Amino acid sequence: MHDVLTVCCYCGCGCGLYLRVEGGRVVGAMPSRSHPVSRNNLCAKGWQSFAFIHHPDRLTRPLVRKKGRLHPVGWDEALDAAAQGLRRVREAHGPDRIGVLASAKCTNEENYLLQKFARAALGTNNIDHCARL
Amino acid sequence: MTFGSGAMTNSIAEIGEAQVILVSGSNTTETHPQIARRIYEGVDRGARLIVIDPRRTRLARHAHIHLQIRPGTDIPLLNGMMRCILDENLVDDLFVEMRTENFLALRDMLYRVDIAQCATLCGVDEEQLRLAARSYARAQRSVICYCLGVTQHVCGTANVRSYANLAMLTGHVEQEFTGVDPLRGQSNVQGACDMGALPGVLSGYQPVSDPSVRARFERAWRVELPTTPGLTVLDMTHGDGSSDDAGVRALYVMGENPALSDPDLGRVRATLAGLDFLVVADLFLTETARLADVVFPAASFAEKSGTITNSERRVQLMRQAIDPVGSSWPDHRIIIELSRRLGYAMNYQSPAEIMEEICMLTPIYGGMYHDRLDNGEGLQWPCPDRRHGSTQYLHKYSFTRGRGRFEPAGHVPPAEAAEEEFPYILVTGRVYHQYHTGTMTRRSDLANREYSRPLIEVHPDDARKLHLRSGLAARVVSRRGSCVFTVRVSERVAAGHLFATFHFAEAPVNLLTGSASDPVARCPEYKVCAVRIEREA
Amino acid sequence: MHRTLILQKDHLLPLLRKLRKDNRVIAPVRNRFGDTFFTEIEDFDNAAIDLDQQPQTSLKSFFLPQSETLCRYVTGKHPESGALEYSFHAQVPVRTPTVYFGVRSCDLFAVMYTDLVFRRARERDIYYDRRRSDAVFISIGCARPFADCFCNATRSGPFLDMGFDLQLTDLGDRWFVQIGRPRGVRLIEEWPAFFTLASEADRKAQFQVELEARGLFRRHVHVDLAVKLLQEQPDHAAVFAELSRRCQDCGGCAYICPTCICFNIADLRLDEDGGERVRTWDACTFAGFTRMTGDCNPVDGETGRVRKRFLHKLLHDVQKHGRPSCVGCGRCVNMCFGGVDIIRCIEMLAAEGENGSGGRW
Repeated sequence: MHDVLTVCCYCGCGCGLYLRVEGGRVVGAMPSRSHPVSRNNLCAKGWQSFAFIHHPDRLTRPLVRKKGRLHPVGWDEALDAAAQGLRRVREAHGPDRIGVLASAKCTNEENYLLQKFARAALGTNNIDHCARL
Repeated sequence: MTFGSGAMTNSIAEIGEAQVILVSGSNTTETHPQIARRIYEGVDRGARLIVIDPRRTRLARHAHIHLQIRPGTDIPLLNGMMRCILDENLVDDLFVEMRTENFLALRDMLYRVDIAQCATLCGVDEEQLRLAARSYARAQRSVICYCLGVTQHVCGTANVRSYANLAMLTGHVEQEFTGVDPLRGQSNVQGACDMGALPGVLSGYQPVSDPSVRARFERAWRVELPTTPGLTVLDMTHGDGSSDDAGVRALYVMGENPALSDPDLGRVRATLAGLDFLVVADLFLTETARLADVVFPAASFAEKSGTITNSERRVQLMRQAIDPVGSSWPDHRIIIELSRRLGYAMNYQSPAEIMEEICMLTPIYGGMYHDRLDNGEGLQWPCPDRRHGSTQYLHKYSFTRGRGRFEPAGHVPPAEAAEEEFPYILVTGRVYHQYHTGTMTRRSDLANREYSRPLIEVHPDDARKLHLRSGLAARVVSRRGSCVFTVRVSERVAAGHLFATFHFAEAPVNLLTGSASDPVARCPEYKVCAVRIEREA
Repeated sequence: MHRTLILQKDHLLPLLRKLRKDNRVIAPVRNRFGDTFFTEIEDFDNAAIDLDQQPQTSLKSFFLPQSETLCRYVTGKHPESGALEYSFHAQVPVRTPTVYFGVRSCDLFAVMYTDLVFRRARERDIYYDRRRSDAVFISIGCARPFADCFCNATRSGPFLDMGFDLQLTDLGDRWFVQIGRPRGVRLIEEWPAFFTLASEADRKAQFQVELEARGLFRRHVHVDLAVKLLQEQPDHAAVFAELSRRCQDCGGCAYICPTCICFNIADLRLDEDGGERVRTWDACTFAGFTRMTGDCNPVDGETGRVRKRFLHKLLHDVQKHGRPSCVGCGRCVNMCFGGVDIIRCIEMLAAEGENGSGGRW
């Protein structure tokens, strides 16, 4: 078993927590004692923050809608389908008819890339996230 | 906004050292447990605790003064408090003179305010209001913590400005242990804002409408950028889906669940269903993903590295613990591959390399290189370069925007009021054991066991009137829709009010809420919605 | 065989390195962020064994992991009746001889307590028992208690008379070694070159250290008094009402406590044909822990739950095992969000006993 220091995925407090890893699976979560926010404790959600990681409901393959139903496909097919669909809307209606929703649960790097994607790749400022919700 | 940036001015640890802690619209013990911990520490050290909340939250039970206002009456309350401060000569004149502007406008407005009237409007005791004003103003170190109970109103922006007015009037901003602290709800909501995942600004709150800002980004990104601010989330999810509508026809959603989280859900679902194309990247098949044309399996926080920024502006490193589950990918990899297919190549070896670009283009993140953040506690922005350390509190000698500006505000009634057909006011919010739309917590055995059903909190007096008991099913109906909850009779809500959460897909409370929103921040009014409640057979 | 020996400090690491050949070696290791956990040491040259700080966690997670798969189950139909059938395939942990080094007396005592629950003659928990029977303990008597320690009051330290395989005492340049269980004897016999006989002077020095340690406790906690008060009258409504007002329901005290062993078992369906049965840590302070079908909850209300936890530690275990199950490690003291820890509870009980008034913060 080894412990990996990371940050809790739940509220905006940003507790430092260790994920306890055994055999490629996360089996526990522990607060960091020296961390300025967590100071050796987590809330009930934080202590359980590892519980959903290996849940059987996790999506493990990309899905593409064919004839009204979502079917598992490979990454290339899914990415091509997504690119094609977005390109079609952009060509037909212009970039400002595409919207992008970023996430307050993703990293800074991902949010930065997504707004870059919206602005530079798609050509629209229609990017927002649920800060207000 | 009034100061120039939207973030906690203090650090979390400082709250425990304040002499007066004013908490408004925040169920802190349940939604920000670590901040509640500091509040308890402060109270143990002798601090006075003032809680402004329509509900009798757990924290309110510890408060020295609990101002149990009617939902949506923050502004009259604060105007009353400020009038009291003005009358009793508790204004920090030097601070107002040196650091602020537009004071006269505020003063003139306050002279027209009648404290007794304010107290009546808010439904609080006038003497308590005065007491709160005095203790807040007189203490040397007073801190304000507020959360979505302040912002999720049609007058959310004016609410926030009023709290800023109060803090500036008494000079409670620029020092350690005293400031105005918005508590951010989600792990990286601060960072998503900082990174420019907003329609009007690029990373670091640099406006897209500013040509010099655009020029800098255009040089780095080698592409011409759109000039006009884009649509907000409400504009995107509340179109009518028809082709001549000004809304969107395609949507890319990363790790969000608007089909459960957004107000007036009936309209949201119609809009999403009417889209030409919907792409969703998420961990689970959410209510939104079910409607998508393409769904990408995303990696969770344990399966990727990167940084997230907490409420106190602390940028911290998340470290990868395990390989992505199944053949899921981290979102950054998905975006890079998708962008390449759309003809705009992005080439990054690692999240650290992405951060290097962020550092170059974002002054407040200028020194946030991954190697520096690898210290166990990260760094707090602003941090303009490599030599700069952490910034514990903001606005030390000047506000981000120069002088702090007083923005006087008058009472704005909520978009909906209780009336004959809908006599109750529904307040929505979160509970301790669940998180957002429950995508993660409802798949966490213990968390879900502790709060597993959509409950509606009803005051005992109302319950008696309506013949409701804890455990019974009740239907709640608004102008827009209805859903069924299990009743919990509780004194946490005031009579005439109901409380429900939006974590549960089986009782999507946002079918009831309206999409009326603040005109500036476009923050929907989740905290006030007129409903009726009836026993369900 | 002499029961007391000397191990030169220089020889400790070489000894552990030898033990590593046939065992997992687990010791308190400080990581680069300054946190100290019991961690398996694989690379002795780059592991900072930390005997100066109290390890943040006890040994509990090694014997009762935070979450573990107990068995896989497969569902099928009975060939004749067609009724739904389950078959279970236990996932018993593989045997891994393990040396736990640097264990403090309180943590070792806690293992002895959990043995009472999981290794009772007829109700042996095979998962716990397997891990437990693979364990060798090299404990360290505490010459210097940590800030919140009170094991003197719970009589689970700072030095033990039993339970360890070897118990070490710091005598400056050398470790004084006491031999306990037979595995300790075997360990000495296998590596005799590392040890020399202790002299009379060494024994005196060890006695002195032990004596001094007892005088160095900073917290004076009246555990016996609290037990007596609870035995006389277990209600103390005012004290528990006040404590529960501040409990934030995080479960942290139970997770961090070396003797809290409540767990939950849940079946996780993996596919059409079966799934896993998983055991995870739980806490008796959660409402769901005692809630039954139909929403009836015998321990209802936050006061009842907080009270139940403290009564279990200070009263029920005294009735059952003759001593409180708190080992005085002090871990729950500084970590509670609301300051609802066992020392506070004992102090409030004592104060109430003294002046008869309700518990105040």
